[in-house]
Amino acid sequence: MAVFTDVVCPFCGCLCDDLEITVKGNEIKGAKNACAISRSKFMSHRENRIMTPTVKGKEASLEEAVEAAAKALASAKRPLVYGLSSTECGAIARCVELAEITGGVVDNTSSVCHGPTILALQQVGESKASLGEVKNRADLVAFWGSNPPAAHIRHFARYSVTPKGLYVPEGRKGRYVVNVDVRETPTSRVADQFIKVDHGGDFELLLALRAAVRGTEITEDVSGVPAEEINALAKRMKEAKMGIVFFGLGLTQSDGRHMNIDAAVGLVAELNHHTKFVLTPMRGHYNVAGANTVTTWQSGYPYAVDFARGYPRYNPGEYSAVDMLAKGEPDAAIIVASDPAATFPADAAKHLARIPTITLEQKVTPTTMLSEVVIPVATAGIEVEGTAYRMDGFSLRLSKVVEPHGGVKSDREVLDMIVERVKALKEDA
Amino acid sequence: MEKITVTLISGRTSRQGVGLEVGKTSEEYFESVSYIELSAGDAESLGVGDGDHVKVETAHGSVVVSVKLSDKLEPGTSFFPYGIWANQVFGSETGGTGMPQFKGVEAEVTPSGAGVPSLADLVATLKGGS
Repeated sequence: MAVFTDVVCPFCGCLCDDLEITVKGNEIKGAKNACAISRSKFMSHRENRIMTPTVKGKEASLEEAVEAAAKALASAKRPLVYGLSSTECGAIARCVELAEITGGVVDNTSSVCHGPTILALQQVGESKASLGEVKNRADLVAFWGSNPPAAHIRHFARYSVTPKGLYVPEGRKGRYVVNVDVRETPTSRVADQFIKVDHGGDFELLLALRAAVRGTEITEDVSGVPAEEINALAKRMKEAKMGIVFFGLGLTQSDGRHMNIDAAVGLVAELNHHTKFVLTPMRGHYNVAGANTVTTWQSGYPYAVDFARGYPRYNPGEYSAVDMLAKGEPDAAIIVASDPAATFPADAAKHLARIPTITLEQKVTPTTMLSEVVIPVATAGIEVEGTAYRMDGFSLRLSKVVEPHGGVKSDREVLDMIVERVKALKEDA
Repeated sequence: MEKITVTLISGRTSRQGVGLEVGKTSEEYFESVSYIELSAGDAESLGVGDGDHVKVETAHGSVVVSVKLSDKLEPGTSFFPYGIWANQVFGSETGGTGMPQFKGVEAEVTPSGAGVPSLADLVATLKGGS
């Protein structure tokens, strides 16, 4: 029996790094400190696995599947490389390279989660802090359009609500927790103050709060929130020693999208005239921040990057996967560590069934079910080492605790094979 | 009442996270994402209860799912967990941002005698097979 300590969880952007994974005979027997989702990931990682590569529904060797993938990508005029956010940085780097050598587009899942956040932060900048700083200093914590118990289960306990910090020795009692949402959630039940905002009303509420922080007394209700509540919250925020806004898809996926984030940054900037205030997006996939980081290292841009002209161009809304698929642009696609057939609106997802789609995946998903080429791969963070970026931008090392199930190769190794074959086919052509 | 209009919001749940890690072909996953939450008042208006089937329809599409009663939602708001069922009713228009609108979408909900489609049914639809 082997016990691996300080294992990093490869599920959400919290990247909890205190897991203890017990292994016996290449089987995971226990996942101490893991949340329910993390435990499911470790304990179920061998269930429903794809055991062999397939080409057009028929079993194939890895080499045959790689050849079919390379031919489809090398001959495509507008290939799309998509996913990236649930694998390690080395594989992400190969995805960007693949887009470059095929003159294709590379996009990652941030285009349908915090892409609008990136758009806003590129316009107006950001005031940020590590999760460690939050734990040690934050005495006012706001969750705006985010609900950690659903998607970042240990966030409260490790970073934001209950831990005792250097300058917050009382832990939970030393923090004032605010939740702004359109509905009551488990977060609102934990919060000291729940503010219910009207659907699509976040932008106006953020602006009103900013105005109140600036000294304007709000005299009428805004987005369903009473004026006195807005004025009181503004006062409380100014009086905090250090405050943070953890915002989620409630802001990025509703009316206003990036403009909501622009307004949130404006509020935080205003608060910094009075005290220390920061904001952090609640990143979902465990390495979506890494997908943005690596894509930026290699192309200069974080997502929605087009290499059709031989140099990178960036334009979310045009080179983002949903827009491209909805317009029927790609004539081939390779999906790595993602399931767009389930996570994209159906009228965009269906285009994947019309073109040669190649998918690298551990388990059967709607995307593998409509793919022409399916290649099983090892699970990063369980069967393969690598690097991932936490929601606050810190990089952590993922562990390998068991050998890959069925002896499959990693995303990075399979992508290396595809890149090599695509280069050879391009040279031959 | 034969139908109600709600504002639909989609999102993650811990059950959905657990289910997807077991596998998207698993019963756990199906159970975790093939429903909508309705307030008790809205469910009563429709004459449906926990587990009954309803058709959810927007300008972009429709799907039959089961009902889960919520004592937290206010009438007029419905929650739909992320997944392929929810994505039958959201549109791909992104307003030039890359991001579809997954929250705050108006939908009509009506009682349905039809079954909830399986994952395979929905993939067949994407393929144009049904």
